[in-house]
Formats: sequence, structure tokens, C-alpha cells
Amino acid sequence: MVPKIPNIPQWGFVSGRISVLEARFLPREFFMNMISQERIEDIVPHLQDTFLKDYLAPGAVREDFGALPDRCFYNMALSLRGNCPSTIPVDIFLLQSDYLNLKGALAGATVFPFPISLFTQEMLLAIAHEDYAELPQSLRESTGWTAGDAFQIDSGILDIMLDGSYLRHLLSLANEIESEMVSIYVRERVLAYIVIVLWRAANQGISLKRYQQHLLPLEDFTQVVIELTGINNLETWPAVIGGIIGDLFNESLESYADDQISSFDLKVTNYLTRIARDGRLQTAGPERVFSFLAGLSVEMQNLKLVVTGRLNRIDQDLLKERLKDCYV
Amino acid sequence: MSPEWIELGRGLCYGGAGLAFGLAGAGSAWGIAIAAHQCAGVLREKPELFGRLLVMLALPGTQGFYGFIAAILMMTQTGLIGGSVIKITLGTGLALFFVGLGCGLAQFISAIKQGEASAAGISLIARRPEAAGRAILFPAFVETYAVVALLATVLFIVFLTQPLALGTLGK
Repeated sequence: MVPKIPNIPQWGFVSGRISVLEARFLPREFFMNMISQERIEDIVPHLQDTFLKDYLAPGAVREDFGALPDRCFYNMALSLRGNCPSTIPVDIFLLQSDYLNLKGALAGATVFPFPISLFTQEMLLAIAHEDYAELPQSLRESTGWTAGDAFQIDSGILDIMLDGSYLRHLLSLANEIESEMVSIYVRERVLAYIVIVLWRAANQGISLKRYQQHLLPLEDFTQVVIELTGINNLETWPAVIGGIIGDLFNESLESYADDQISSFDLKVTNYLTRIARDGRLQTAGPERVFSFLAGLSVEMQNLKLVVTGRLNRIDQDLLKERLKDCYV
Repeated sequence: MSPEWIELGRGLCYGGAGLAFGLAGAGSAWGIAIAAHQCAGVLREKPELFGRLLVMLALPGTQGFYGFIAAILMMTQTGLIGGSVIKITLGTGLALFFVGLGCGLAQFISAIKQGEASAAGISLIARRPEAAGRAILFPAFVETYAVVALLATVLFIVFLTQPLALGTLGK
């Protein structure tokens, strides 16, 4: 991608903020060093050099570390969202938590544990009280959806519908922003998500036909889902998936059976990080915000992996193996 | 030559002067705004960088002054300010009009592009403050062409308003 500098007046402020924040990203060596620490007490001082330093209360690392990186990510995303002329690059990252809240609302919950962004509290509460007037369009489009039945739908099927709805929403956001880089990133992410969902289901012996019924429609990926759900032999999947994701799937099949999906997930995340790095070449624009959040998301996942891994005495070599490629 | 034609030449000359400072001023304002957005975002996170960013922010503003110099020179050389009013033929007036337009356009475009180059430099300083010396080179290279345009404008104005040139162009 050729570096370009359009939209500077509109995106200049948030891009300026990101230029400073980007300098705080941590290299792979930092995580390797953390992993190699023998005592947990030696890990905590390292966290002072991370985005988490403002979130570290005494005892927080031992008691509730798992939630800190997520809280840090969402706070940063919401802060940047307020400075963006278009919220789409941020919304793409917040959407998953919105759908988790929606899942809770459809189950009748009135307390929503995940940060609220696109779906308002009022909308979620209305849905929790069986008022589906404001239900997202992406869920209504689901082939198996019939309004009024949400409480009767089998929770497994509702999960599939919500997955499909989330992916449709993601694709529509990517189409709206008209950015080549964001579009490629989201489409590859959606394809990898579909593959992982179907792969897990196949491993658990769940009928893939259910996915054909309830996950669709998914724009250009509809045909891929139909074909994948009709094939039982995983070794023929790469030909249907195609492209780099297909190649990564093929590589993952060479791992141990229990490790194949996590290996694929890791490879896909590294591939997506490589795509997102292109956004750094821009001075200002939606890609800049998107790339930063992609990098921050990976950094938070790595921090969570390393700190919780060390707290739970997980083997150092295994942690090094699972470490995702860093943004810098 | 009739007096009406002489007045038309004068009008064209001052039209050119207006374009020189108008376009240059507009370009500078635009360029500074581009750099200012980026600068404000950086200062939100790192207020201590204000000193280093100020130069980058001010650079696109120079074109406005260059346009102003060109316009003032046109007014002094033709006697509108402090001197005896000289007769400007249609040919000289037309030439001065295009000199002003050319100067204005060069300053306008270079100021906007310098604003973009400054924004890129500001982004670099935000990530690596120690690279401030190198970052200033990006907009400085753009500045070169604004200066060249001003020099050409000055030479044109000075020589076009020489009595010999006025006489030749008037024939």
C-alpha cells in the first residue's frame, strides 16, 4: 500500500494522539523477557512500562488481572472514538462486546457486563423485556430468525444466529468505511472466524447443517459456508477456503490434533497484524485508528497471556510459542 | 496610447497583486490548519513537545508573507505607495497580472503541501522526539519552492517596471 495522506484535517487530531500512543507499543523482546522471569513479583515492575500502568492497583495483578487488559483496551477505544470524525474504525473493535451484551439481553438479562457502544442500554433493556422493535437489522436478516421467539430458540441455535449477525454487521461496517486496508482485514477476519466456528463444531460432532441454516446470509462468504458445511473431510477445506487463510488452515492441520484450532487462530492473528501494520504508513486517516487498535488488541492479548500464564505456572516454552506477533 | 488603456494596465497589475497575497494567505491558513490538527492531537498526549512542534506548525505560514511581499513590491514599484505614479501599459499590466497569479498559485499549493509535510513530521516527532532535527527537513524542502517562486516574482516585478521595459512593452 502506497503511503498517502488524505483526510488530515478531519483525522489529524486523533492521528496525532495515536502517533504518541504508538511509541508506547512493546516489542516481542519485552514479552520474552517477562516470560523468562522466574518470580511473579519480578513481572509486576515490567507492567509499569505498559498501557496498563494506570490500571495497576496494589494486588490487582494477582486478584483480577484477566479483566485489566480488556478494561484498558475498551477505555482507550472509547476515548479515541470521541475524537474520530467517523466512529466505524473503532466500532469494528467494539462490536463483539455489543453482541455479547445483546446475547445477554436476548436471554432476559438486564445487567450488561461488557462496555456499551453501538447498542444502547435502553435498546438492550427493551430487548430483555421482549420488545424487539429495535433489534439490529443484522439479526433480523438471519435466515432462521422469527421475531417474538427469541426466548424459545435453542441457545445453541441463538449463538449461531448471533455469530452470523455479528459477522454481517462487521462486513457492513467495513463496506461503509471504504478503506481498502480495513476491508481486506475485516473480510479475512470474517473468513477465519467462519472457519474456526465450523471447525470447532465439526470437532464437537455438531451437525454443520445447522450453521448453513442459521449463520447465513454472509455476503460473498455464503457460498463458502454452504460448501464447507457439505464437506466432512477437513483436508479438502483449504481448497474451498482459498487464499492465505486457506494456506494457514493447511499449515495448521500439520499441528497436533488438540492444538490445530489454536495454532490456526495464532497464525491468522499474526497475518492480520501484518495487514494492520500498513496503516502506520499514513499520516492521518481512518486506517491509522484502525491499525492502532489492532495493535493494541494484540498487545493486550499478549499481556494477558504472559501474566496469567506465569501466575498459573504455565510452561515458559509454551507461552513463547503462543505469543502473538507484536505490532512493532 | 489612450488613457483608458493605461488605466486597464494599472488595474491588471493590482489585480495580480491581489491574487498574490490572497492565494498565498489562503494557502498558508489551510496549511497551518492541517498541521495544527495533528499538532493538537500530539499535545493532548505529550504537552512537553510544544516547543519542538511550534516550528513545524509555523512553517506553512511563511507563504502568506511571501505573497504579501510580492503585492507590496508591485504597489511600491508602480508608485501606488510612496512615489510618483508611473504609466502602466496594457502589456506590462497583463504581464504583472500573470506574475501575481503565478506567485499566488505557487504559494497557495506549496503552503498546503507544506502543511501535509509538517503533519507527517509532527507524527515522526511524536513517535521519536529525538528526530525533530530531521523531521523539520521535510517541510523545509517544500519551502524551497515557495522561496524560488518569490525570487522569480521579485525579479519580474523589478524588471517589468523599469522605464526601458515599460517603454518597450508599450510600443
